[in-house]
Amino acid sequence: MQEFLQQVVSGIASGGIFASLALALVLIYNAMGLVNFAQGEMAMFATFVAYALIENGMSYWIALPLALVLAFAGGVLIQRVVIRPVERAPVLTLVIVTLGLATLINGLAGFVFGYIPRSFPSPFSVQTVSVLGALISFRDLGVIAVSALVLVLIYLLLQRTTLGLAMRAAAHNPDASRLLGVRVSWMLALGWGLASAVGALSGIMVAPILLLEPNMMQTIIIYAFAAAVLGGIESPLGAVVGGLIVGITVNLAGAYLVGGDLQLAVAFLIIVAVLVIKPNGLFGRPSVRRV
Amino acid sequence: MELLELEEVHAGYGPTQVLHGVSMKMAEGEIISLLGANGAGKTTTLRAICGGVRWDGAIKLSGRSLHRMSTEDIVRSGLAHVPEGRGILTDLTVEENLRLGEHLRRDRDQVRKDYVRVFEYFPVLRERRRLSASTLSGGEQQMLALARALLMRPRLMLLDEPSLGLAPLVVRAIFEIIRDINRADGVGVLLVEQNARLALELSTHSYVLEVGRVAVAGLSSELKGNDSVRRSYLGY
Amino acid sequence: MLARVRRAPPRYWLVLVAAVLLIGLPTVVTSFQSSQWNLVLIFTIAIMGLNVLVGYSGQISLGHGAFMALGAYTTAILIARYHVNYLVTIPIAGLVTGAIGFLLGIPALRLSALYLALATFALAVVTPSLIKRPEQLTGGVQGIGLVPQEPPQFAAAAFSTVTGGTQMTSEQWLYYLSLAIAVLLFWVAWNMIRHRPGRAMRAVRDGEVAAAAFGINVAGYKTLAFGMSAFYAGVAGSLYGLATTYVSPDTFPVALSFQLLVGAVLGGLASTVGPLLGGMFVYWLPIVSSQTISDQSWIPEQISSVFVKAGPAVTYGALLILIMIFAPNGVVGLITSGYGALRKRLRGAGERGTGQMPPDPQTG
Repeated sequence: MQEFLQQVVSGIASGGIFASLALALVLIYNAMGLVNFAQGEMAMFATFVAYALIENGMSYWIALPLALVLAFAGGVLIQRVVIRPVERAPVLTLVIVTLGLATLINGLAGFVFGYIPRSFPSPFSVQTVSVLGALISFRDLGVIAVSALVLVLIYLLLQRTTLGLAMRAAAHNPDASRLLGVRVSWMLALGWGLASAVGALSGIMVAPILLLEPNMMQTIIIYAFAAAVLGGIESPLGAVVGGLIVGITVNLAGAYLVGGDLQLAVAFLIIVAVLVIKPNGLFGRPSVRRV
Repeated sequence: MELLELEEVHAGYGPTQVLHGVSMKMAEGEIISLLGANGAGKTTTLRAICGGVRWDGAIKLSGRSLHRMSTEDIVRSGLAHVPEGRGILTDLTVEENLRLGEHLRRDRDQVRKDYVRVFEYFPVLRERRRLSASTLSGGEQQMLALARALLMRPRLMLLDEPSLGLAPLVVRAIFEIIRDINRADGVGVLLVEQNARLALELSTHSYVLEVGRVAVAGLSSELKGNDSVRRSYLGY
Repeated sequence: MLARVRRAPPRYWLVLVAAVLLIGLPTVVTSFQSSQWNLVLIFTIAIMGLNVLVGYSGQISLGHGAFMALGAYTTAILIARYHVNYLVTIPIAGLVTGAIGFLLGIPALRLSALYLALATFALAVVTPSLIKRPEQLTGGVQGIGLVPQEPPQFAAAAFSTVTGGTQMTSEQWLYYLSLAIAVLLFWVAWNMIRHRPGRAMRAVRDGEVAAAAFGINVAGYKTLAFGMSAFYAGVAGSLYGLATTYVSPDTFPVALSFQLLVGAVLGGLASTVGPLLGGMFVYWLPIVSSQTISDQSWIPEQISSVFVKAGPAVTYGALLILIMIFAPNGVVGLITSGYGALRKRLRGAGERGTGQMPPDPQTG
């Protein structure tokens, strides 16, 4: 029972990480009806930036926000330079562009930082504390706290501020928003920036666990896909709930059912099952189906 | 200075040209109606003014050329356009739609007063302000669109067929409110209407479009009295 | 007859020239170079299949590397565990993969292009870990090694006659094998595209509702395209295994699926010769670019080493983005539109200026 509880808590911690990346996917999906296949790679690159800052003697708590700001700027830049020219293209074109972006960023990271896995510092110790008899690490608790904080901040930004309102409006109905003076293109760029920053956080949270290298996010993005799809790809709340469910499920399945090497297959199974049985996920609204 | 000036405006969609040189003028605080049959180019004229379609010629708002300006910038320079279909953001609540109308304004005190006015005009919007805009009826959506345009405090309002699909009583009420907003705020109104009788009653000047050109222009009261114009262009 | 030849559009001449070059190639290049061109052909086959799926039926797969893996493992397992003749394993690999592709095509029907992309991407990422599991069958992380296939008597004899006594190597034989299969599969795809199924698929791609209204079996053609495209990938995978004589989970990373997509997009979706160009690009680009750049003495050492090290990923990624922005119809699209413009130029610019709108954009 105690071990089970431990698995659940560390599942929640992984879930927080997946939720952050899934939320990034949802933000961009809402902004332009697109799944950003480069989200994981963008997060990985931002994590490398944070690593470089810390390596150069910066304290973790300064490097973290700085890296997030840089990730934000990077996301805006990518939208302006790469995405904007194809904004009105068919979705297939956009998907291919984000794949190109993923490949490009992966290659760039490999070139700049090399392929040797590096250990990434965590501000939380791996020491454990006993909760209801289960041994839970401070690192897991820290990850859960940071993820929760960021998710709440994003929620407040989107739901309680005028900027968030304009971003939602631009995403849902660009033409009508333009007529209200909303600078739609910039709102989309901000959406990319925000997604990039939230995604970067997931990279920085996961790096101490996985070791940092250019392919680090390749599996995490699949878990994030599973989380986003499960929650309903347009729902921020769904991304969070989906992230937690995927995190716990995958952790438990890895511990008790299939073994660690097939955890990824469990995520794949979740994706396929949701898409086939309930394509709108838990919180997505039903869309009009063609044929 | 004229509030709005169009000179020899040509516009179209791809290879199809819709406007073949439209010229018109309106003064500050005036109500102008733009009449004509389906496909005459009324909606396209409005789209050209707010930068929603490619055009050639000259369009000036308070003497300032709108050439190559984006829709957002045109709107920010004092124009409110209630398009065909009303442009309601149905994913958002009624209140959020209204907030988007005034989100660029800095005069918060005046905004608060404007909200009071809006809810006086349209009490139903206050009742439903927490609901999704998609739950509103057609008439209520038209009210929301108009309320939102009022909250934008524009110098010029473009209204595309505010009477479309509404019950006659509702249309009456809405037209009264349009007149009231025009008088109270001194906002110019460019009204596109199928219902020529009502539009002529409301407006001071009218332009009648026929296949992308101005066929007749003049004082609304004169057009109303001119039987041949009425029969050949306005169909009543 | 002569008049007919003269009237033949230039693309037929291009095909003829290409055929002569491709058949003659191994007689003039080394055995190693033959093996390189063999891989080009293998990529071409896989890209042909992807082209049917993406270009004609409007679906997408980011998991064709996984289908290639399936084909390669089918062949490797049949040869190494059951001692089946390698020639027999090729169609079996194609059919097994095609059948699985067809089955996957059924749930795929319900998915929008975006979800399909997502699911197939996940498949590509998961595949290596799935392969590692049944160790008895797949050899786990170690993979399966194969022996090189010797050329049959008739081929060796014909080859030595043409080249004047040179012994045919395994690489050269496999090149011809892939070439024959590529031609056959090209012929199949070409016929399908020009006839009823091709037209139906394009109709589905351009508008499912309209296609259904015309009585086209939308679901049927979409799954057919998926199955067919998986069949091509399976055959390509099988040949890939034979060519490299070794399959392991790491032979088929996610990057392979991307590479195939790059090839399909680069050659030009929905074009018939595109896949060959795409195959050539995808195979040669990283090799040639890293060589040429490091050979250029005028490029500073630091910059050239950047390019060589950053390797294929950066080039592929940048190319994908640039093509999608500037030439969404791929290289073939560029050439045909360029050719069309040139012909118009030569005929005189009389038809110009029918559009009445002055070229003065008001808004972007």
